[in-house]
Amino acid sequence: MKAYVCMCERVTVEDVEKAIEMGFTDLESLKRFLRVGMGPCQGRYCVPILLSILSRRLGVPPEKLGYVSVRPPVEPAPASLFLKVRKDV
Amino acid sequence: MYDVVIVGGGIVGVSLAYRLAEEGAGRVLLLEKGYLGGGSTFRCAGGIRASFTSREHIVLMKRSIELWGELREKLGVKYERSGYLWLISRERDVERFKEYSRVHNSFGVETRFVDEDFVKRVAPYVDTSSMVAALYDPLAGKASPFDAVYKQFLAARSLGVEFAVGREVDSVRVERGEARGVVVGNELIPARSVVVAAGAESVFLLRRSGVELPLAPVPHHAALTEEFGRLFDPLIIDVETGAYAVQTFHGHVLMGVEVEEEPFARPVVKLEFLEKVVSTWSKWLTWLPGANILRYWVGYYEVTPDHHPILGPVDGVENLYVATGFSGHGFMMAPVVAEELAEWIKSGKPKSEEAARLTLARFKEGRLIKELAVIG
Repeated sequence: MKAYVCMCERVTVEDVEKAIEMGFTDLESLKRFLRVGMGPCQGRYCVPILLSILSRRLGVPPEKLGYVSVRPPVEPAPASLFLKVRKDV
Repeated sequence: MYDVVIVGGGIVGVSLAYRLAEEGAGRVLLLEKGYLGGGSTFRCAGGIRASFTSREHIVLMKRSIELWGELREKLGVKYERSGYLWLISRERDVERFKEYSRVHNSFGVETRFVDEDFVKRVAPYVDTSSMVAALYDPLAGKASPFDAVYKQFLAARSLGVEFAVGREVDSVRVERGEARGVVVGNELIPARSVVVAAGAESVFLLRRSGVELPLAPVPHHAALTEEFGRLFDPLIIDVETGAYAVQTFHGHVLMGVEVEEEPFARPVVKLEFLEKVVSTWSKWLTWLPGANILRYWVGYYEVTPDHHPILGPVDGVENLYVATGFSGHGFMMAPVVAEELAEWIKSGKPKSEEAARLTLARFKEGRLIKELAVIG
């Protein structure tokens, strides 16, 4: 049985624990090394789980671990939307 | 006492760390203030080419491409010679690219004009209806920035390189015209040689040590679509605007186009960029308006007055080396930069005369190098 942290990129709890053991102990590196949070959900579901695993493993409260950079457009948005931007605003 | 201290954990610093470790260059420490790759490296497109117009760029990039092949063999780094394709939609650009191609060919970089059938084979999801010509570079390609950084980091670490991630270097300690190490907080970390490979940050870091670099960070924007199956193999360039698009190993399409930015401007996202990049690429990728944009970010090109890097020793400061100012081409050049710097540190001289011409001294001596093919 596998416990998934990131459904979009199919990353398991085991993958996360292994990466932490390899020395990836900050959220930004974990995200990129494993691709957690880089799928269409944009980290909405998986990054909080990643944060809580990391917090427990390091014994550091989650609020001290920061958060990953959140990139616009936050939710996947159809490219056609940006063709409608009014340039004179 | 360290033999070499590297400031900056981007592709250049990490490649150098790996190279030094492989060559048995002694005790090596790399310091990175944020996270590995967190500056320009992880914001870049991952394209790799030797099809430039200056001798320095072409010769060094050709060697870099060989070394990228070695990285794939040795470490399994995701790297492919999938080509570059310049898409030309205006007759008046054709002559200019013929001239570029003649320069490339004279240096043994076999770029050539290709027909529509060829374009359709290597780029089945590129619409060619507005194409008047296309130049193809078969030697060019792409690598995964994440993979290249992480695999070289893990290999370097297993060979004994120490990594201090999350530690910010305040300055390089210079005494009597000689670099003695780096200062972190109140601590001096002594070193025989110091290499500053801190991308755009290099200019601020070295200013605190009395060294001025003619370097300006200029924001560049990039957006990424959701992932798809195979769309096009080469990195494609819209010659009219200089915009590029590349399909990543993961399947996303990563696109960039130039929007007006001032040197040293803060890197902030602009709706104007998304409008421009989508409208530019919709001409060639007619399916793009229906695709989703997943992410958008801004990174820096660290631009020098001649769009060539600043490499090697700093005049007047012994044991201090720099590797920065790549003007948007640092990722592709990193393996050869690592090779040249490792040699420079070991023997006092680089491997090639082309690298020797890229030192900081050229700006004072007025030996600027001309490069025409800089793209957004």
